[in-house]
Amino acid sequence: MEGTVLKLVQHRVAAVAIGSATRYQAGRLTVAEADARRALAAPALASTRVSWVSPGDSARIVKVLDVVQPRSKGQGGRGIFPGMLGPATPQGRGDTHVLDGVAVIAAGYLPRAQEAVIDMSGPGAALSPFGATHNLVVEFTPADGASWEAVDTAVRIGVLRLAALLAESALEAPPDQVETLRGAPYPKASTLPRIGAITNLQTQGTFKDVFVHGRSFGPAPPTLFDPNELHDGAVVSGQFGHPALKNPTYMHQTHPVLAELRRRDGHDLEFAGLILAPEPVEAEQKARVAEQAAELCVAAGFGGVVITKEGGGNADADISLKIDALADRGIGAVGLFAEMAGAEGTAPSLVVPPERGTALISTGNYDEVVRLPAVARALGGPTVDVAGVAATAALEVPTAVLYCSLSPLGAGRLTCREVA
Amino acid sequence: MSRVVHYLNQFFAGFGGENAASTPPGLKPGAVGPGKKLQELLGAEHEVVATVYCGDDLAAVSPDALATVLELVAQQRPDLLVAGPASTSGRYGVACARVAAGAVRAGIAAIASMHPENPGLDDAGPAPVIASGASVREMGASLERLAAAARKRLAGEPLREADGRIGKTPRKNVLVDRNAASRAVDLLLARLAGRDAPAEVPVPKFDHVTPAPPIADPSQATIALVTESGLVPVGNPDRLESARATRWLRYSIADKGTAPAGEYASVHGGYSTVWANQDPNRLLPLDVARELEREGAIGALHGEYLVTTGNGTTVPNARRFGVEWAAELRRAGISAAILTAT
Repeated sequence: MEGTVLKLVQHRVAAVAIGSATRYQAGRLTVAEADARRALAAPALASTRVSWVSPGDSARIVKVLDVVQPRSKGQGGRGIFPGMLGPATPQGRGDTHVLDGVAVIAAGYLPRAQEAVIDMSGPGAALSPFGATHNLVVEFTPADGASWEAVDTAVRIGVLRLAALLAESALEAPPDQVETLRGAPYPKASTLPRIGAITNLQTQGTFKDVFVHGRSFGPAPPTLFDPNELHDGAVVSGQFGHPALKNPTYMHQTHPVLAELRRRDGHDLEFAGLILAPEPVEAEQKARVAEQAAELCVAAGFGGVVITKEGGGNADADISLKIDALADRGIGAVGLFAEMAGAEGTAPSLVVPPERGTALISTGNYDEVVRLPAVARALGGPTVDVAGVAATAALEVPTAVLYCSLSPLGAGRLTCREVA
Repeated sequence: MSRVVHYLNQFFAGFGGENAASTPPGLKPGAVGPGKKLQELLGAEHEVVATVYCGDDLAAVSPDALATVLELVAQQRPDLLVAGPASTSGRYGVACARVAAGAVRAGIAAIASMHPENPGLDDAGPAPVIASGASVREMGASLERLAAAARKRLAGEPLREADGRIGKTPRKNVLVDRNAASRAVDLLLARLAGRDAPAEVPVPKFDHVTPAPPIADPSQATIALVTESGLVPVGNPDRLESARATRWLRYSIADKGTAPAGEYASVHGGYSTVWANQDPNRLLPLDVARELEREGAIGALHGEYLVTTGNGTTVPNARRFGVEWAAELRRAGISAAILTAT
């Protein structure tokens, strides 16, 4: 059976500005403030502001919420972010235009959101993937009387709408690159090892939730999912805990594990597909989801699995239980973990290790302290809450505070080694 | 010539045994006791310039004594601090580990020496520990290994298992060439092909705690309420951390019959505190505990509750809280505790 195909039409952004019209021309992206305000307008928001920060700027973004890569499938979005900007119709086919090198970043106070920092220069910039992108930062003031839940929803939808609008400006532009991606199903086609991915989504209630086709994935069982759908924004993050261990929407759109599996498909492995799994809070539910996911791996013919998580200590169990459940079925698996080894790196690295597997990759130690110099300008709020200082001040904070620095989806180059 | 300071307990510094275990911190110039052999083994390029000592009873429990020891060490501007060997002596091992850890944290290179089963091993933090024999009879061999490690450290070389290093080697963040996703696929393919490729994270081994047997007669027992829920008086007056807690706090409940909303709130960053803050008794079950006390089902309720935040807390800190809570409750004559976890 012939599967579907998605074409990613890439447009490289080399320069950004605020201007009188929203347009993309010869690598330069200009945003009109009025267009941004219209895209972000919602009853729950009294006002919104947009500003650019670029790599190398003496600038910091604090209280980072979600990050989105601008993408569009045509005028009006045409199905991008299904279930969020339009009907929950499956996507993952046709043409999707991508603004590469740009991110739209929501920043501001929400309850339960843990302080999250991105530095655009200095040692912090190398640790966050968004220290290397041109970032359109969206700040907001809630409307009087609006509930925090309504503010959260309004910011999420507004940022997705703005991201789609930006990408629409490149629909007619000549692409820098076109990538053709084969969608599901992925029947056995060679003797190479068939490798799939299990992507755990942290679905733990309001402000700690992940949406698939516009709905919380919390109640869902593990699901075999067309990876091409992620490119069209079928998975959207509303999860604001553990900034270093977050998978914002941008990371689902560009999923580093799927990118690696596709890159090597037909060379040293055969890409076998994607399973999405919820990360519940109760231990019994975690075990149930692990067993269900392992059964699905068998059904999908995975010969090996890359398992990722989102969030802190309890989410270790969501990987470890799956490694064990797969080992019971004779399927090898590797897990990506952040270490919680203490500031000096001498504490045990994991909260819940697997019992029947040792293939563990480290995305770095959450507790190691980093020193960040003062910056000229800060967006997102007046203070860095976790440090109790002004947002522009010099910081001494655990790596845990740097947004996506320990990317559970494997975007980063940080790891941990014994230093004797 | 490099400067070495040696740390010893009261016994090896020549003050006597248990009867002198409260000897206050002090300093003697040059090498003393086992330090003389250490000096001989270090050779002429390295000089033991001073011996800092302290009684085991003080060094293992008094933060002030530890601070004084570290001050005496720092005044000598040493290139290296050597502590021990402490063999299997528990308090001495804890003291050597804490002095070495404190020195490293203050930017002074340090090595501690003790037997692998010494309980002080876990307290050495970032400082390397070199294995010693189990008893004083093996002092000669222990000092030879320690002196060899000291010479290596003074030459700026790392200390590894082959040097007799025991305990934890600190793990540091490093940036490598390839992202974690591609390293994960490499590791998986290698393992599937039957190659023993190294993992990046050591699988930790955790202690298993056997719960204490039930108390015989609750109606005669004084019960304490303790919690890791992050519940503190509103406004968080003592700034309890919302994650990665490094300390615990205590608050009086002696004159309280319940834990009302508006008076207590949780600062825990790992769960939604909305419902808990609407009724803090669900984190600190003071209302029902008072009922049980009135009914005579329990003898009495302890006058204060102990609290920390269990959210990303490191195992060494969690273990320390446990030890400190147990000591605290035992001292207060408590026979059982209700620990509410979140």
